[in-house]
Amino acid sequence: MTRFLFPRGAAGAAALAFLIAFSSVAPAGEIDNYSPGPEASPQEGVPQGTVTQHQWTSEIFPGTERDYWVYVPAQYDKSGKTPTCVMVFQDGGGFVNEKGSFRAPTVFDNLIAKGDMPVTIGIFINPGVIPPAKEGQAPLKNRSFEYDTLSDQYARFLLEEILPEVAKDYNLTENPDCRAICGNSSGGICAFTVAWERPDAFRKVVSHIGSFTNIRGGHVYPALIRKTDPKPLRVFLQDGENDLDNLHGNWPLANQQMDKALTFAAYDHQFVLGNGKHSGKHGGAIFPDTLRWLWRDWKTLKP
Amino acid sequence: MKKFYSTALLFLFLGLVTSAKAQDMPLSQILIEGEGWEPVTGHEASGRTFGFTDGLSTDADGNLYFSDVRSGNAVYKVDLEGKTSEFIPNAEGISGLQWGADGRLYACVSRQREVVVFTKEGERTQLAAPVQPNDLVVTYDGNLYYTQTKDKEIRRISPDGEMTVVSKDVVTKPNGITLSTDQGILAVSDHGGKYVWTFRIAADGTLENAEPYMEMRTPVADPEIAKGDGMATDAHGRYYVTTAEGLQVFDPTGRLCGVIAKPQDENLVSVAFAGPDHAYLYVACGQQIFRRKTKTHGALFFQEPKPAEAPPK
Repeated sequence: MTRFLFPRGAAGAAALAFLIAFSSVAPAGEIDNYSPGPEASPQEGVPQGTVTQHQWTSEIFPGTERDYWVYVPAQYDKSGKTPTCVMVFQDGGGFVNEKGSFRAPTVFDNLIAKGDMPVTIGIFINPGVIPPAKEGQAPLKNRSFEYDTLSDQYARFLLEEILPEVAKDYNLTENPDCRAICGNSSGGICAFTVAWERPDAFRKVVSHIGSFTNIRGGHVYPALIRKTDPKPLRVFLQDGENDLDNLHGNWPLANQQMDKALTFAAYDHQFVLGNGKHSGKHGGAIFPDTLRWLWRDWKTLKP
Repeated sequence: MKKFYSTALLFLFLGLVTSAKAQDMPLSQILIEGEGWEPVTGHEASGRTFGFTDGLSTDADGNLYFSDVRSGNAVYKVDLEGKTSEFIPNAEGISGLQWGADGRLYACVSRQREVVVFTKEGERTQLAAPVQPNDLVVTYDGNLYYTQTKDKEIRRISPDGEMTVVSKDVVTKPNGITLSTDQGILAVSDHGGKYVWTFRIAADGTLENAEPYMEMRTPVADPEIAKGDGMATDAHGRYYVTTAEGLQVFDPTGRLCGVIAKPQDENLVSVAFAGPDHAYLYVACGQQIFRRKTKTHGALFFQEPKPAEAPPK
């Protein structure tokens, strides 16, 4: 376990060096006091990718509608001849938001330009809703069903619906080591579930404040991990000491159980525990380093 | 598929922090410390004993109506003073009851294989036969949905009396049936599986978007069969379903809030909010009916559909 904090305003080179090394930084005494670092802002001379918005009506989650966004880096081979790495995000609207905690398109721009991660297409997907049939009705929120359920349904949704649709326009890799998936909270456990169910398709996982708790049975993962033939996954977990403790479980304890189970089963993984609450602030602050760790050997991979 | 560039994004998102903070709804928002199940004893005072209570339902005032599938021969009423009386005599073998917005009482008469409706004066009109109804719900606009458990069917009887099968072979043993507070979602419990299924009620009254939206807790000895039975909804949009393990409660996004223990070790088959302010949970459990006071109150489908109320802090 690595304790790792990034105090507000500490954007200088020294703090950055700590970040890169995942070293311990003493808490500043304030809780969940994190903010995006310099790599979450556009940098002079760094080419910017494009983000397009799309809508999807699913058959695997029957009749659900959702928005998703596709980030295409400036370095993408527009001839379409080069298979390209892919990273999928749950609650995608939050991750592409240029004023959010993550600002993933800008972080991608900066890291790709530096060679710290491969040229990667980002797919940012919102959870589905079943729209109202009549005025005055609420949409049925499908988020918990899609993200918290321990099954291959969400993986199939990605592999049979979204990836083929995006692949109509872009050359996406089919190498599972070049496919990553990321999410927060229920989106975090969803990322793990996708890779757990389909390690043939996704092998890189990032979970922030992941809900490895009993919302829909996800508290069993530490036990499953310990007694299952290890899967070829690389897993990054972030949580905060002041994360939720509610009817579904205790988030910091659940993430520590995940960390210990992944250690026991000798997974390639990293766990960062800060002092945050149930927010994306800490995960967002360290996101560039998370990506560097996740893609650290990308130059050895063939998308 | 539509595309546009990211400048439009700036305005759009509440983003993930909002969605991550879906409202938690623990049982402590429902149950009152020190208020446990108490038997509804008015009918015992009248000397009557029941065989198998079922079909719990309420009216606008909070009176409770129920049936006795095994040995009863009437629709019974428990008034706000707790007294039990025969409300509609000569009505045997009823397994589901609900008041409609038209002021009539709809009933599944499983023994006589019909769906009927009673006026307050007891006048009986047959709506469908021969059928094998188990339980029903009636929307504000007069669509009746009932479960035909044996045939794995959910059927609809429209306001003009036409009956159609609106779901088949989706739910193994469709049993309990209820609505969301806005009456746009139909929820059906499975007596032969472990899910409560949800459906979008389309504008034409048909059912779409079937999903195993809520996973019920199951007995250790029978991990695939929850024995989902009667259902109810509260004003905050929570779903209640009677099961082998107890009265299970789900939040509007399908997450289990918890399991309320059965009042006694008998079959728990029906649930309704009734009593003053519809703030009491009533359950049918074997020969007896029990109730307990809660911090919430029931959704009433004979009243206009409304959004779920925000839960208390």
